Amino acid sequence: MKRIRIASAVTAGILLLVTAACFSMRPSHGGGQGVKFTGPRRVQPSDVALPDGYRIEAVASGLTFPTGVAFDDSGTPYVVESGYSYGERWTTPRLVRVEPGGRVAVVATGGRNGPWNGVAYGHGAFWVAEGGELEGGRILRISRDGKIDRVVEGLPSLGDHHTDGPAIGSDGWIYFGQGTATNSAVVGEDNAKFGWLPRHPEFHDIPCKDVTLAGRNYESSDPVHPGGAKVRTGAYSPFGTPTAAGAVVRGKVPCNGAILRVRQEGGAPELVAWGFRNPFGLAFAPDGTLYVAENGYDDRGSRPVHGAADVIWAVKPGAWYGWPDFSAGRRLDEGDSFDPPGKPKPEPVLSPEPGQPPQPVAALGVHSSSNGIDFSRSEGFGHRGELFVAQFGDMAPNAGKTLNPVGYRVKRLNVETGISDDFATNRGPVAGPASRIGNGGLERPVAVRFDPAGTALYVVDFGVMTMGPQGPAPQPETGVLWRITRTGRASR
Amino acid sequence: MILEKNGRRKRAERIAILSAALLLAGLFVLVGCGSARRSEPIAGPFHAATPEIERGQRAFMQYCNPCHTGGEASFAPALNNKPAPGFLIKLQVRAGLGAMPRFPQSVISPRELDNIVAYLKAIRHHKPKAGEVHG
Repeated sequence: MKRIRIASAVTAGILLLVTAACFSMRPSHGGGQGVKFTGPRRVQPSDVALPDGYRIEAVASGLTFPTGVAFDDSGTPYVVESGYSYGERWTTPRLVRVEPGGRVAVVATGGRNGPWNGVAYGHGAFWVAEGGELEGGRILRISRDGKIDRVVEGLPSLGDHHTDGPAIGSDGWIYFGQGTATNSAVVGEDNAKFGWLPRHPEFHDIPCKDVTLAGRNYESSDPVHPGGAKVRTGAYSPFGTPTAAGAVVRGKVPCNGAILRVRQEGGAPELVAWGFRNPFGLAFAPDGTLYVAENGYDDRGSRPVHGAADVIWAVKPGAWYGWPDFSAGRRLDEGDSFDPPGKPKPEPVLSPEPGQPPQPVAALGVHSSSNGIDFSRSEGFGHRGELFVAQFGDMAPNAGKTLNPVGYRVKRLNVETGISDDFATNRGPVAGPASRIGNGGLERPVAVRFDPAGTALYVVDFGVMTMGPQGPAPQPETGVLWRITRTGRASR
Repeated sequence: MILEKNGRRKRAERIAILSAALLLAGLFVLVGCGSARRSEPIAGPFHAATPEIERGQRAFMQYCNPCHTGGEASFAPALNNKPAPGFLIKLQVRAGLGAMPRFPQSVISPRELDNIVAYLKAIRHHKPKAGEVHG
C-alpha cells in the first residue's frame, strides 16, 4: 500500500510538472504558421463537419478578402470585399451582388481607405463600415445602384483596429463598433509592425470620457527613428510621450474602443458604450438587446496581456466594459491569469478605474478572433434565439503563442447559459484552417448572417491568410461565401 | 551483509517506482498534448446526465473554455482525453503551474470545482461519431 501511495505521489508530481510545462516547452503552432499555400484554394463542402440534419454548400468563391454579407429586400445576397488586409495588402474595396451560380456583379467600389469591415441592409440601402486605415473611419451609405454617401467620417481608425459592424437598430439608428489604436492603450514597436506607426506617429487611443492615468510608462526601441535612443510611452499618448500619475486625458466622441451610433441621415455620432478593445461583430437579439463580439488582448507590444479571451457582451447603454485594465470583467492584475510568461504583469494604467465592468455573456477561445455574429430567428433553421459566431482564427505568433490552432470555425452560443459548441468545423484529427489540414473546408470565417427567411446561415470565409516571417500573408481570390441549411430533423 | 542486501532491494524498488511513474507521466503527456475533439459536429450533441455535470459544463465555459476551448487542444493542452484523476485536476487548478494560472477558492468555489471535474470526466466518454477522424 505504501508503495502505491509513493508511486501515485511521484506520478502526480511529475505529471503536474510536465503538463504545466507543456505550454512553455512547445513552440507555437498557430493555424497559419508554417503553411505554404500555392493555390488555387480547394473548396470541398464535405470536408466541413456539421451537426446531424444540416448541409453546407459554397455559394461563391474567388472573393478577395470578403468581410460581410447582407440581403436586399428580395433576399439576394451581397458581399463586401475589404480592400485591405493585415499584412498591408491593399486591393479595391467592393460591394458585390452574388448572382445565381456564384457569379458576382460589382455594385460599388471604394478608394484606398479599407478595410470595409461588414455590411448591413436597411432603409433601402447598404451600410458599410469603412475601416479607414489611411484616411480615418467612415460609415458609408450605398444605394442599390452604387451611389456612395459618407454618413459619418473622421473616426479614429488609423491604428491596429478599425471601424466595424454595422447593425441597424429598431430605433432606426446605425450602430457600429470603433476599435482601439493599440493592443492595451500603449503605442509600441508592435504598432510599427502593423504598418501604421511610421505613417501616423502622433496617433494614439482616445477615451470616450475623461480618464485619470496611473502614470505608468513603458520603455521600447524607436522604430520610427531606427538607431535612436530608447523611448518611454504612457497610455493614451503618442509614441515616445511619457505620462504622469494623476494626469487627466480628456474624453471625446468619436473615440476608440466604443460602440457608437449615428442617424441614417448622418450627423454627429453618439456614444452607446465604451471600454471595448475591438468590438468587431454587432447583432441585435430578437428581444432588441445589442450583442457584441470583442477581440481580446494579444500577448504583444509594450504592455502584453496573456490568455485573454474573446468575449460576447450584452450591451448596456452607457456602461464601461473594462479596456484597458480588465479582460472579460476581471482586472488584469488579479492573480496571475494574465501575466505573460517571462514578462511583467500588466498593471493598471488608469487610477481610479472608470467603473466596474459588467460580466460577459460568454468567454470564447483566446486568440480565436471571434468576429461576426447573428441570431437564429427561425425554427426553420433551428436553435432559435441562439447566437452564431464566426471565428477568424488565431494570428499566432504575432498575436501571441498558441499550442494549437484556435478558431477557424463557426460557434453556436446559448446566451442564457453561456454554453458554446462548434457548429461548423473542419474534419480531421485537429481543428484548423483547410490550408493547414490539407482539405477543402473552412479557412477563416469572419462573418455570419441569416437570410431574411431565417432558414439559411451564410458564412463569409475571408480566405487563406498564412503567418510567415514577415507577418500575415493574405491570399487574394481565396474567399468563399458558404451557405448552411437544414436538411431534416436536427439531432436535438 | 543483510543490511547491504536490504539497501540494494530498497534502491531497486525506488528505481522501479520512479520508472513506472515516469512512464505513466509520459503517457499522460503524450495523450494530454494531443487532440481530443468532442464538439457536436464531430461527436454529436453532449447531454449532461446529471445536474452536477450540467453545472460543471457551465462553470467550465466560464473559467476553462478560453484556454482549453471545448476541452480540445487549442491555446492550451487538451483536457478531454487526459485520464487524470479528480484530485490531480483539482491540484492543478488550485496550484497552477507553468503557464496555467492559479484559481483560488475565491474565484472557483470548491463546489464549482467538483462540478467541473464531474463534467470533465463525463466529456471523456463522449467519443467522436463513426467515420469522424479523431485524435
